Amino acid sequence: MKKRSLIIALTVGIVVFYACKKSTSGPEPSPTPGAFDKVAMLTDYADKIIIPGYSTMQQKILALQVASDAFLAAPSTATQAAVKTAYTDVHLQYVRIAAFQFGPAETNLLDVFANFSGGLDYSFTTAGQLTGFSIDSSTIENNISSGTYDLTLMSRSSLYSQGFPAINYLFFGPNAIAKFNSNTANRVKYAKAIIARLKSLVDTVANGWTTYRSEFISNTKTNAGSPIGNLVNQFAYQIDLLKGPRIGWPFGKQSNGSLFVSKTEAYFAGISTALAIENLSALKNTFTGGGSGKGMSDYLVALNKAALNTDVLAQFDVALAKLRLVPDPLSSSLTSHSAEVDQAYKEIQKLLTLLKTDVASATAVQITFVDNDGD
Amino acid sequence: MTGRIFNIKKLIPGYPVPIALLITFRIFFGSLMFLSILRFWWRGWVTSLYIEPKFHFTYTGFEWVHPPGYWGVHLLFLLVALAAFFITVGFLYRIASIVFFAGFTYIELIDVTTYLNHYYFVSLIAFILIWLPANRNYSLDVLLWPDKTKHFVPASSVGIIRFQLALVYIFAGLAKLNADWLLHAQPMRIWLPAKTHLPIIGIYMYETWVAYLFSWFGAAYDLLIVFFLLNKKTRPWAYCLVVIFHVATAIFFPAIGMFPYVMIICSLIFFSARFHEKLLSFFPFYRSRKEILQTTGYTYRFRYGKVLLVGMGIYIFLQVLIPLRFLLYPGNLFWNEEGYRFSWRVMLMEKSGSTYFTVKDKIHQQSFEVNNAEFLTPLQEKMMSTQPDMILKYAHFLAREYKNRGVQNPEVYGEIYVALNGGRSQLFVDSSINLAAEPLTWKHYEWILPYKK
Repeated sequence: MKKRSLIIALTVGIVVFYACKKSTSGPEPSPTPGAFDKVAMLTDYADKIIIPGYSTMQQKILALQVASDAFLAAPSTATQAAVKTAYTDVHLQYVRIAAFQFGPAETNLLDVFANFSGGLDYSFTTAGQLTGFSIDSSTIENNISSGTYDLTLMSRSSLYSQGFPAINYLFFGPNAIAKFNSNTANRVKYAKAIIARLKSLVDTVANGWTTYRSEFISNTKTNAGSPIGNLVNQFAYQIDLLKGPRIGWPFGKQSNGSLFVSKTEAYFAGISTALAIENLSALKNTFTGGGSGKGMSDYLVALNKAALNTDVLAQFDVALAKLRLVPDPLSSSLTSHSAEVDQAYKEIQKLLTLLKTDVASATAVQITFVDNDGD
Repeated sequence: MTGRIFNIKKLIPGYPVPIALLITFRIFFGSLMFLSILRFWWRGWVTSLYIEPKFHFTYTGFEWVHPPGYWGVHLLFLLVALAAFFITVGFLYRIASIVFFAGFTYIELIDVTTYLNHYYFVSLIAFILIWLPANRNYSLDVLLWPDKTKHFVPASSVGIIRFQLALVYIFAGLAKLNADWLLHAQPMRIWLPAKTHLPIIGIYMYETWVAYLFSWFGAAYDLLIVFFLLNKKTRPWAYCLVVIFHVATAIFFPAIGMFPYVMIICSLIFFSARFHEKLLSFFPFYRSRKEILQTTGYTYRFRYGKVLLVGMGIYIFLQVLIPLRFLLYPGNLFWNEEGYRFSWRVMLMEKSGSTYFTVKDKIHQQSFEVNNAEFLTPLQEKMMSTQPDMILKYAHFLAREYKNRGVQNPEVYGEIYVALNGGRSQLFVDSSINLAAEPLTWKHYEWILPYKK
């Protein structure tokens, strides 16, 4: 009796509820999200952004290799300038694809070996520590003089003595040209080894995508380690890097204002701000899928989160505008333009909150790099 | 009326019921726990949850609980796994169940981060099992000490498990009776569009009506399933529904881990003794009571029956009261999460946050922004960013940590943004409050900013 009346009550409840729903037509404008094609989104990411991104990177590294060979054959300010142009091209291209740290890039630890950021879990306490975008010049010099080194080592000193940190030191560091006049053979050998290693890493990752592509575009899950999960996590992670090692930590945010100027990214080339701007605008471009109508931002719109999407895009623009007020080299702007740096930092944090909390929540993606039970 | 549904005499605590119910429960629960512990190990969570973190969010009153070091933690897990195995086979059952309860609960008390309703449920069931004569038949114990064999147990020993299970379902159902769940189909409307990869049903996951269907069906299921399980006529169908429902939740939400299987296994307790005897007859070496001729010691009697009965009364009273304690707190329960845990609120909301802490010295000359990743694992940070008591504990930890680093009278300020059930993120706590000076208390935290719809 009781049971039956409960069932009846519930049925009536549901019917009444839906009746009300129809008659009041509800405050939310369009409650049914359009059927969004996630496979199309991922295909677009793979074919129009990620894979072309890696092939451009491959071409730019080839150009860098040519320029560096010319410099190593005849070190001069002219050949050095040519290397600088080619390297800047490579590094700018790298930060455009830095957000794709999954699949082949993750397996081959591309980011760790090419552009080690020191990880997010390290504190900036003293300048002598290998943190952030440090350059380990003593290990580099040791490697050159001994002539033996293992670039596949996972130690911090190994990671800070190859990739972009090593290129910065070897080609643009203090007395770079003069240093090639002593122990020339070993120094040239090391410089070539560094560039060859970067090239082989990028080649491996680019080739890896030919097989990984089908796995990437067909997995439409959102759990930890899924393509969509990875993309959303990378948006947050890249902004976290921007807020931390790229700008905030060298700026002394963690350390009561003590600056770490030499830990700005690409310190000797002096292009930190350009890299930060390029990273952020590439991230915005990735977020919108290059305006293809199939990007993450379109997914948000399909999920009835158009207002959120508008706010995220606007915040990207605000943060970019603030960053553009900070001139390169960042290492001197940290003191000469501290107000502008602080402004940019604040806007980056707002963008981080939007991506890490609002976007992640709206897309049911967990910002966590581990899987775990939950309820 | 009720007589038709079940024998009213079974409500008398001492009424003898066949022991088979407890035997199958012991075997199923024990083996599921054994497998769960192995799974936990295999997935590397022993290390990532109890060894890697530098700091643990302790439970108030249990600050003395610490992970006992690398080997200690692994040894503890080994001990608990072994105890689960002993429970299954009924060997040194009383000791094994005490070890399992104490060990499992100790592990759970290490870090609030890992709180899950079904871990709490496991602790409670383990606690109940300590008192029950679940080893008095078809166990190694009675093989070794045959005169301990019993064929009937007091109805209360089965009743208490049924009560516990009913409580979980009904409170889980009551928790769903809120506007977000029923009127806005939240958080289903967020979670389901992320499930379009599922075969066949995937294409419907963008449909709003599906989210409503899931929400309403889920609430009705939780509220009513116990009554259908208690009714002899509806029981087989109800149990089919239990299996379908929980398998579906396991497919839709793989992250809920062992919970569906725990509920599927435990709900068997609602079946009759005859069913359980039938089930046991498929087990090797099982001899039914008809095959064993025995005249004395037929029915198990609790040694201090009356004391136990009073204890059971208190337990039941507390179990009903604890999930209701949220009524004593003002404001939005999902936002404040005061009185939220230990209340069977399962898969109820989508909540996430970003936290930025700043440590300042007393005269505000020094200012340090905290890098959470330096102290917390990603999981700990994620859990902390939406739960006020964890935020406060972390702030206190930061004050200690920065004091050690030489900051005079450190003050801790939090700029914290939280998004709830698809809403936009908003400021969660008063960022002008020095959290280091705020006490941990059972009272409402005034520094939580009210939720704005």
